[in-house]
Amino acid sequence: PVERKKQSNIISEEEAAQYDRQIRLWGLDAQKRLRGSRVLLVGLRGLGAEVAKNLILAGVKGLTLLDHEQVTEESRRAQFLIPVDADGQNQAQASLERAQLLNPMVEVKADTDAVGSKPDDFFFQFDAVCLTRCSKDLMVRVDQLCASRNIKVFCGDVFGYHGYMFSDLGQEHHYVEEKPKVVKGSNEANDGPEAKKPKVDPNETTMVKKTVSFCSFKAALEVDWTNEKAKNNLKRIPVDYFLLQVLLKFRTDKGRDPQPDSFAEDSQLLLQIRDDVLETMGLSSELLPNTFVSYCFSEMAPVCAVVGGVLGQELVKALSQRDAPHRNFFFFDGLKGSGVVDYFGSK
Amino acid sequence: LAFVLRSLSSCRVLVVGAGGIGCELLKNLVLTGFKKIEVIDLDTIDVSNLNRQFLFQKKHVGKSKAQVAKESVLRFCPSANITAYHDSIMNPDYNVEFFRNFQLVMNALDNRAARNHVNRMCLAADIPLIESGTAGYLGQVTVIKKGQTECYECQPKPTQKTFPGCTIRNTPSEPIHCIVWAKYLYNQLFGEEDADQEVSPDTADPEAAWNPADAAARATASNKDGDIKRVSTKEWARSTGYDPVKLFNKLFKDDIMYLLTMDKLWKKRKAPLPLDWTEIHHLGACGTGLKDQQVLGVQGYAQLFHRSVETLRSQLIEKGEGAELVWDKDDPPAMDFVTAAANLRMNVFSMNMKSRFDVKSMAGNIIPAIATTNAVIAGLIVLEALKTLNSEFDQCRTIFLNKQPNPRKKLLVPCALDPPNPSCYVCASKPEVTVKLNVHKTIVQALQDKILKEKFGMVAPDVQIEDGKGTILISSEEGETEANNNKFLSDFGIRNGSRLQVDDFLQDYTLLVNLIHSEELEKDVEFEVVGDAPDKAPTPSVPEEGKNIANGNKDSAQPSTSSKAAEDDDVLIVDSDEEPSSSTMEASPESSNRKRKHHGTDTDDAASKRKRLDQQPADDDEDIIALD
Repeated sequence: PVERKKQSNIISEEEAAQYDRQIRLWGLDAQKRLRGSRVLLVGLRGLGAEVAKNLILAGVKGLTLLDHEQVTEESRRAQFLIPVDADGQNQAQASLERAQLLNPMVEVKADTDAVGSKPDDFFFQFDAVCLTRCSKDLMVRVDQLCASRNIKVFCGDVFGYHGYMFSDLGQEHHYVEEKPKVVKGSNEANDGPEAKKPKVDPNETTMVKKTVSFCSFKAALEVDWTNEKAKNNLKRIPVDYFLLQVLLKFRTDKGRDPQPDSFAEDSQLLLQIRDDVLETMGLSSELLPNTFVSYCFSEMAPVCAVVGGVLGQELVKALSQRDAPHRNFFFFDGLKGSGVVDYFGSK
Repeated sequence: LAFVLRSLSSCRVLVVGAGGIGCELLKNLVLTGFKKIEVIDLDTIDVSNLNRQFLFQKKHVGKSKAQVAKESVLRFCPSANITAYHDSIMNPDYNVEFFRNFQLVMNALDNRAARNHVNRMCLAADIPLIESGTAGYLGQVTVIKKGQTECYECQPKPTQKTFPGCTIRNTPSEPIHCIVWAKYLYNQLFGEEDADQEVSPDTADPEAAWNPADAAARATASNKDGDIKRVSTKEWARSTGYDPVKLFNKLFKDDIMYLLTMDKLWKKRKAPLPLDWTEIHHLGACGTGLKDQQVLGVQGYAQLFHRSVETLRSQLIEKGEGAELVWDKDDPPAMDFVTAAANLRMNVFSMNMKSRFDVKSMAGNIIPAIATTNAVIAGLIVLEALKTLNSEFDQCRTIFLNKQPNPRKKLLVPCALDPPNPSCYVCASKPEVTVKLNVHKTIVQALQDKILKEKFGMVAPDVQIEDGKGTILISSEEGETEANNNKFLSDFGIRNGSRLQVDDFLQDYTLLVNLIHSEELEKDVEFEVVGDAPDKAPTPSVPEEGKNIANGNKDSAQPSTSSKAAEDDDVLIVDSDEEPSSSTMEASPESSNRKRKHHGTDTDDAASKRKRLDQQPADDDEDIIALD
């Protein structure tokens, strides 16, 4: 992508009016950076549609919707962008019109290719890439390709009641945070020897610059659990991390996610994969109790909304370079209502 | 799971509000399999909604939110059965029977008055209610079920911090004081004059007196409001033909010089510096940001003052004899006027001036809002809804959305629901409260409006005195007890220890009010509810938001024009929306000038509808038991 986003300094009246409520939250500077950003979104099912909506409303410069799959009745019911008569069409193509209507100021495009078939340099035109419904190997490849070029990489999926988000913002991600101003001494409006200090406005703030580093998706998934230290920490590790490993393996082995139609055989396979995966890591199967299989089939709409909301906001933060990013996983358990941020990988 | 999903299609649910949370919620409900949905919203679509209320497009601006939301949802789910009401939920048409039609009610509101009301209706109908709110990056969801959980009013919500009159009139120290003053000034000059909104120096200020006897003497000698002139501000302005220069000099020079004579005030404070119209020479600033975000110099604001006074004067003339304007943040000259007047006053009192953008935030009670926060909260609402419909109340939770993970790595913090408060003045079996006031100085109208409606959230109270005769003090029937309105409570034999039985039949709510007579209430305080958290108690600050953007009414009660300011407090977050443009009472949907339909309790500045609560510091707090 471009080394530095071009920032158009003029914000139109139309933008100011439409984006007013978010400019009042994250500031004009952040909005301008968003406005200069191009994003690739892979996968337009339930989660993808949520992320698309959130990014388009936020006002990015361009969003490319990439999906090679066709609309089926099931996939259409999972999201709100595809019209009812679109069965058989390409999913990205079918989502395009409604997505564009969300915000005419964003350039929304549809691409019907499979992401795995795209050459390396395809990705370089974007400032951020968001991958959903991709295989582990594909996510590893794209992440490796992009992170070194300062392209922000995000992965996310929803499996039944569970969902996750991963981010790799590169070795050096710079951002700013707004902190209350600490004022020493009198401010300039003071004059005269007898003048008393006027009360300092508690609302005044200052921007503080920070830098943080992220590891690759590969490193995040290949944490070594066999050493003592890791084993001792296990109690505090979200179980969802291991659930993710199991589901990604299922996806690789079967070329699809667990489906309600094949509940019986898929459940069996899931339990088997759980045993294999945990054993390879040197861990006990009890870490992930059998009940998990009941709750990871198909994409639940409200879970897509939650994960899509967090993922969308992380993209906004990364592109606008404002506020501390979540590092580097977010796990959501829709049964408990718990959402956890945790770091996996080389520190 | 499959069983639940199948039976969802026969569930009837009510969504109250079709704004930020409402749009996301309707989408989630339909995608999850709900088919019978009713949605109600009194508002119309504004361009500033479009950054998050995704069911609306630019072409829909001005139309009914509920109606357009329904149409947009039907487009992607034609089989859904949606009924839309462009109306206020506080309309008596939506009685207990109406609520009983539903298996579940979900609030997507932004003001406390409506929340209180829906809370009571759901208690009366015994229907579970899912309550939620958002502000900026923060959000919260909770479940309310009669007899099992706390109701919305079980924990007293902190009422807004109020600024004493003398802070506004004599000794402002923060920009917000100046902004409140400027809004009062607007009303005094162009709008409805209000005795609680005086702008001239307050000679009865207790701080100004060198000895207590002196203060007492001043207080009784001057008018009740201590106004230095016998004529009202409006009369004076009229007498000068609303001459902007004369106005400027009176407000920013003469009145300031008067304040300077109250020298005790300035012993420990920096004294104000009067301005003179003929002496202002600085040039305004320029910039590359939003025009609104520039801070002009004193000259710039003086000119803006001049221009806006002339424009408002023309507006008054156009409207004719006895006309009154209503302040509206989206009315440019009104906003210009407040920006200018507030900044000039800030300058007089040596404060850094604020851009129109910032003044608008504060004066208009604008709470920043984004799509993603609402998306997350609406997702959580549906997940709680599924448990609720399965009667799995033990699984239901209050869930807080943080901006950053807490020390236990939680971004979403689920907490166990609390059982009902046995002393709750709403859901306890025979609720009672005790109110302290001065029976010789409180009039019946004030009892009705400020205490029963604002404070205790009633919509149409009926009041009987427990005097053995069942004397009716207030009737909810229009006109029946109008003659009582301006009489003092003591005129009816009410004294220390008297009891009132108050009923709101719409809410199916009876409250017994014990009265304690007191002559020792603080200045500016009309009544006190015994057992309430004191208004001035410091509240935990919101950790996430660096900027204290939030202001104005986070509370049901007073109109934003009064001397209230926001403090970031705890408790439920509200999806706040700012003051709607223009005013008051029942507007019909067809009226093009009215942005929304209002319900009777609203007072002046339309802002009264905009009540929002402050945010819970969603870290594990002393009050919260987080679950693992």
